[in-house]
Amino acid sequence: MRLWKSWIVTRKDLSVFKKNKYVLYSLIAMPIILGVVLPVIFIFALDAQTAAQTLTHNQLVAAANQIVGLSTMYFVLIPAILPSIIASYSFVGEKIEKSLEPLLATPTTDGELLFGKSFAAFIPCIAVTYIGAAISAPIMDYWSWIRLGVFVIPNTYWALIMGVIAPLSCIMSVEANIIVSSRVNDIRAAQQLGGLVVLPLIFVVIFASASAQVSILLALGISGALAVADVALFYLSKATFQREEILTKWK
Amino acid sequence: MIDTNNLTRKFGNLTAVDNVSLHVDEGEVFGFLGPNGAGKTTTVRMLCCLIGKSSGEAKIGDYSIDNEADCLKIRKMVGLLPENVGLYDSLSAYRNLDFYGQLYEVPEGKRRQNIERLLQLLGIWERREDAVGAFSKGTKQKIAIARALIHDPQVLFLDEPTANLDPEASKTVRDFILELKKEKRTIFLNTHNLDEAERLCDRIGILKAKLVAVDSPKNLERSLYNRKTIVHLETVTDDIVAAVQNLCTVKNVRASDNKLILDIDNPEKYNPEVVRAIVESGGNIQYVTELRSTLEDVYLKLIREASAK
Repeated sequence: MRLWKSWIVTRKDLSVFKKNKYVLYSLIAMPIILGVVLPVIFIFALDAQTAAQTLTHNQLVAAANQIVGLSTMYFVLIPAILPSIIASYSFVGEKIEKSLEPLLATPTTDGELLFGKSFAAFIPCIAVTYIGAAISAPIMDYWSWIRLGVFVIPNTYWALIMGVIAPLSCIMSVEANIIVSSRVNDIRAAQQLGGLVVLPLIFVVIFASASAQVSILLALGISGALAVADVALFYLSKATFQREEILTKWK
Repeated sequence: MIDTNNLTRKFGNLTAVDNVSLHVDEGEVFGFLGPNGAGKTTTVRMLCCLIGKSSGEAKIGDYSIDNEADCLKIRKMVGLLPENVGLYDSLSAYRNLDFYGQLYEVPEGKRRQNIERLLQLLGIWERREDAVGAFSKGTKQKIAIARALIHDPQVLFLDEPTANLDPEASKTVRDFILELKKEKRTIFLNTHNLDEAERLCDRIGILKAKLVAVDSPKNLERSLYNRKTIVHLETVTDDIVAAVQNLCTVKNVRASDNKLILDIDNPEKYNPEVVRAIVESGGNIQYVTELRSTLEDVYLKLIREASAK
């Protein structure tokens, strides 16, 4: 597989997404929700605890870490949910523009095309997750420093979620949605089916992130399983991608 | 350049393309005529390695459509203008062409050069940064043709290049195809437009799942009825008819109003002899014309015969 060919497809898809207001607004909304709403919840929760004056300093720090843990869970959910908007558009978008035939006529393999499209969906989804994290983490840290004199972020759990579980769950959701997008020929059907496919994935990633709070080793093990599942899904998307069916049966 | 041998494609019980064998020479413009559902697009898709065949063989240059590695080479050496232009409406004309140029592995400098040359040629260079969605159908079709040529393909497949275009845009596209013909590119042209096929193509294949006929437009026109020579006279007399009938080169003579309708095997050679005979027998010739069947007559006859089978 020639990755530079996939990158050409990725760059084109990113340019198309950039011009699609529906996709763009969905993407812009996410960092705002993550970056502003989560710190607000954190600040109110922490202030309520400190105002009550029933907890010791150590208990307050533990409580702050727990709130961070809960809010970090969103950074796993969002990259799992967002691909149902972007990746579901992947092939259906080409179908709507009737651009699949000339695209498939180029000397590009199925693998190169699928990898390029997957990467194009992955980049914005993970980027908005990280932008949200980059906005929310300093606010939460600033507030915890003022109130408790400690920085609550980064911690091991947060780093594991952001560095491993969030991208892996994003890849899984992208691949699942790419498979859906290459099998249906209507954008609404793609998004509805994509949403359904994401549901079981959400349970998987919640389980993975919850396990990180119990044991880092367990979380790493589950992350390994997620990585294997991601690779398997990519090969499944290749196997289910039928050029001929797309060209002859899509109306 | 293009060779097929009993190429067949079935979709369930339907045989879309039935044992098609044809040969298209390098630099030839080959027209594929047929009604909707005749198998024209399916044939092109098979030849461009977009869909597989059910049986038979096909080669583009030295590469077989059966072999996956060959298919990548075939896709690289052919340009395809599909029935639907399929451009990215939100991207500019330049960006659309640049994207395909990259996929066809055209080096950056050459790519820029080709895009400029093609857009200049088609009169769109000044609007190269405009989003394609803002262009008219005709302009989009021109950009799609430029896309098919971005990698200087040896073989060009054009599927209904002037369908749904207004007469002016159709003419621009046809003129452009004539320019490509001058460049000696091999062009495979799917069309419903008989006039277009007649004007552009060296040879025409008439398809109705099976290949019903292949020949040059002129030979196809001659194949339906023999060519007839019409001689318009001031008056037709029995002497004139007898004089013409006596010529061994004339197979049949029919008089109608002030005209003589003659069946002659080789009119270019024997018409002067006929004219002399008429003048010598006192006839005043006003003018001499030729009666030919049109490509439309031939097409309709062959398609009706094929449908009846």
